[in-house]
Amino acid sequence: MKIGSMLGEIFRSVFRKPATVQYPYGDRQAVPERLRGTIRFDPEKCTGCTLCMMDCPANAIEIIAIDKPNKRFIMRFHADRCTYCAQCVVNCRFKCIEMSNEQWERAALTREPFTVIYGRDEDLKKFLERTSLEGVKEKP
Amino acid sequence: MSIDIAPILKMLVFPGGLTLLALGLLYEYIDRKLVARFQNRVGPRVLQPLADTIKLLAKEEVIPQGVIPLFFVSLPVVALAGVLTAGLYIPMAGLAPAYSLPGDLIITVFLLGLLTLCIGLAGANTADRFSLVGATRTLTQLFSYEAPFLLALLCPAILADSWQISVVHRSVLGHVWMALPMAIGFFVAVIGLMGKLELAPFDAPEAESEIVAGALTEYSGRGLALFRLGKDVALVLGITLVAAFYLGGLANPLEFLLKTLGLLVLVAALQALFARLRIDQTVGLWWRIGALLALVQLLIVVLLKGVIL
Amino acid sequence: MTGVQKEKFIIPIGPQHPALKEPAHFEFTVDGEMVTSASVRFGYVHRGLEKGAENRNWAQALYLLERVCGICSHAHSTVYALGVERLAGVSAPPRAQAIRQILLELERIHSHMLWVGVAAHEAGFETLFMYSWRDRETVMDILESFTGNRVNYSANTLGGVKYDLGPQQSDSILRGLDSLEKRLHYYLKVVTNDESFLRRTRGLGTMTVEQADALGAIGPTARASGVTRDLRVDSPYLMYADFPIHVITDTAGDLQARFVVRIKELFESARNIRTAMEHLPEGELAVRFPRKVRAGEVVSRIEAPRGGLFYFIKSDGGENPVRVKVRTPSLRNFMSVLVGSVGRQLADVPMILSGIDPCFSCNDRAVIVRRDGVPATEFNPRKESASQSKS
Repeated sequence: MKIGSMLGEIFRSVFRKPATVQYPYGDRQAVPERLRGTIRFDPEKCTGCTLCMMDCPANAIEIIAIDKPNKRFIMRFHADRCTYCAQCVVNCRFKCIEMSNEQWERAALTREPFTVIYGRDEDLKKFLERTSLEGVKEKP
Repeated sequence: MSIDIAPILKMLVFPGGLTLLALGLLYEYIDRKLVARFQNRVGPRVLQPLADTIKLLAKEEVIPQGVIPLFFVSLPVVALAGVLTAGLYIPMAGLAPAYSLPGDLIITVFLLGLLTLCIGLAGANTADRFSLVGATRTLTQLFSYEAPFLLALLCPAILADSWQISVVHRSVLGHVWMALPMAIGFFVAVIGLMGKLELAPFDAPEAESEIVAGALTEYSGRGLALFRLGKDVALVLGITLVAAFYLGGLANPLEFLLKTLGLLVLVAALQALFARLRIDQTVGLWWRIGALLALVQLLIVVLLKGVIL
Repeated sequence: MTGVQKEKFIIPIGPQHPALKEPAHFEFTVDGEMVTSASVRFGYVHRGLEKGAENRNWAQALYLLERVCGICSHAHSTVYALGVERLAGVSAPPRAQAIRQILLELERIHSHMLWVGVAAHEAGFETLFMYSWRDRETVMDILESFTGNRVNYSANTLGGVKYDLGPQQSDSILRGLDSLEKRLHYYLKVVTNDESFLRRTRGLGTMTVEQADALGAIGPTARASGVTRDLRVDSPYLMYADFPIHVITDTAGDLQARFVVRIKELFESARNIRTAMEHLPEGELAVRFPRKVRAGEVVSRIEAPRGGLFYFIKSDGGENPVRVKVRTPSLRNFMSVLVGSVGRQLADVPMILSGIDPCFSCNDRAVIVRRDGVPATEFNPRKESASQSKS
C-alpha cells in the first residue's frame, strides 16, 4: 500500500527529453525498411495475368492492355483506394510490384495526384492519345 | 473636478484586474507545463492559455433550452468579479495589499468560495443531467473543503491575533522557522486548496470520463472563458495566500515568485501522482482526516501562544 | 396503481461520451449517485462487414475482415485464414504458423497495454495512461519493423504469411521484449500498490466463478474470476500445442484482479514469443491457395486479446464466401457490466465498463432473433439473459 507510487518516475521524467516526436518539425524517426508505402510497378516483366487486379480488396489496380500479343501493359493505380495490404505484391509471380518505403506521406490538396499510371514511356503516350487525357506526370 | 486615479488603477491594473489575469494565465501555463513534463510529454507553449481564452471569447455562446437566461449569462461574470475583488486584499507580488480592513480574511475566503458557488449554481441552472450531477458534486466538495481550509488559514491568524490579512502577513514576515510547527497546517492548507480549485485528484466534480465536464458542460464561448479565467485567478490567489501565511511571508517580488512557483511545483506533482478520487471518497477522507489534522494544528497553535509567545 | 412514482433519473452514457472510445448507448437509472438499473443498446458502428464479405472473393474478404477491429486486427485475420484454409484442405507451413503465433502474442501485448492506459484514464490516473502508452510504442515499433504497419498488419495471406522473421527483426523483438518486461513489472507494482488507484479498482464489479459462468463472460474478464477457460489451451491452434501457454487466473474477480490477470498474461506472451523465436521451424512462408474453395462449413475459434473469437464460414464451392458470421468476445461480456453496475455508484460505472475491455466496433453485427419462427422486433438483453446459451 503506497501513496504516490509513481513519484520516482515522474521526478525523473522532468530531466528526461519528452517522449513526443514533434513531427514534422524536429528530428524525424528513421523509417523502417519494410514500411508499406505506395506501390511501384515495373512494366518490363508484366505479363498481364491480372492476378493483382483480382485480389485487390479495394479495386485500386487496373491493368490496361496497350498491346496484348506483345505483352505491353500499363497499370492505372488509384492511390486513394489502396489499403496498403501488399496482396498484389504477393500475388505477382514475376515480382513486378513492390511497395516503396519512402513515399508514405500521401496527403494532397486535390484528387488528381491519386490516380497514377505506370508504364513504359511509349505505352503511356499511346494510352494518353487513346483516351485524350491531359498528361499526368509519371511518379518517379 | 478631480477623479482619484489611484483606486481605479489599483482595481484595474495592479494588483487587481490586468495583473491578476496575466498572472492567472501565466500560472495556468506553468501548471500545465509541469504536469506535462511529469508525464514525459512536451506540454503547451507560453501563450497557449491566452490563445485558449481568446479563442473561447471569439466563439458563439450557445444558451441551451431550459435555463434561466439571466443567470446563465451573469453567473460567469459574478464569479470572475468576485475572484478579482478577492485579489485586492492579498499581498500580491510581495507588496502590501491594495486595501486592508479588519476581518478581510473571511471576506477573501468567501469571495474565493463564491467562484465555486457560482459554478455549482450554473450547473444547477440547466436541464442537463451531467450538469446536475456535476453541480451536486461541486457543492458537496465545496462544503467538505471550506472548513478545514479556513481552519488551516486561521492558525497563523490566531498566532497574529488578527483577522486582517496584512497584519497576519506582517507578523509572519521573516519568521521562516515558523513553518516547522505549522507543517501540519501547511499540509491541510495545500490539500484544501487543491480541493477548492478542483485540481486532480480532487476533480470529481469535473470528471471528464464520467460526467463530460461537470457543471460547466453546457457552457461555451464567453461564459466558459470567464469561468476558466476565474479558476486561474483563484489558483494564483490561493497559492499566494498559502505561501504568505505559511512559507514565511512574501517580502518582495522575488520572494513572491520563488515561493509561489515552488508551491506550484508541489501542487503540480500532487496532480500527476494520484488517480481521481470518487466524490464520496474525497468527502469521507477530508471530513475525517482534514478536520482532525486542522484541529491538531489548532491545538499546537494554542499551546504555542500560551507557552512561548 | 396510484401513488407517487419515484422520479427515474436516467443518465445516458453514449452514444457520445468521453468515457467511451466508440459509440454505444448505455442507460443507467440512478437514485442520487447509486445505480438502480442499467440497459444497453448497440448498433452505432454497424458497417455491414458480414454482407460485404459475401461480395468479395476469398482473398479480398481477408483484408475486409481484418478491419473489423483495429486493436485485434491480426486475430480476426488469422481466424478467418485458419477457417478458410481448413475448408480448402490447405495447411499453412509450420514457419508461417509460428510467425502467425508470434504476431498474435505481440498483438496481445499491444492490446493489453492499450487497455491499461485507457482504464487508468477512466480512473483519472492520467500519469499511468501516458506512461503505459509511451511504452506501448515499443511494441508498435517492433510490429512496424516486422510487418510494415503499426495497426492492421496485413501479415496474413491465405496459405501463410507475407513477412519473414530475419535476424534484424528477431534482434529488435528480443530487445524490445526485454525493455517491455521491465516496464511491465513496474506497472504491475503500481497497479497493485498505489493506494489511490486501489481505491478505484478494489472490489469493483466483483463476479464469482458461478456468476461469471452464468453471465457468459469470457476472456481475461472471466479468468480474473477464476474461470480457467482459454482457447489456446482448451483447443490449441497454430503452434500452441508445441509452445504452450499457462492460463493465468485470479480468484478475486474484481477490477483489480482483471488488471493483474492482463498484465501477468503479458509475461506469458513474452515468454511464448521468445520460445517460438528460438525454435522457429525452417521452411517456406506460404503455399499456393486455390481460387475456389470447396463447399462446406467451418467454425474457427482463436483466443483474441479480449477472449474467444468465433467465425463461422460457409462456402458453396465458388470464389466468394457465402456467409461469414463473426462473434466477438466483447459482446459476451456486456451482461457482466449491466449486472455488476447495479448497486454501485455512478462514478464506478465507467471503470466497470472499461474493465471488460470493450471493443464496440467489433460488436456491431446484425442479429435477428426468432421466437417461434417469427423474427422478434424487440430484444431486451435483461429478459434474454437467462436463455442466452453459451456459444
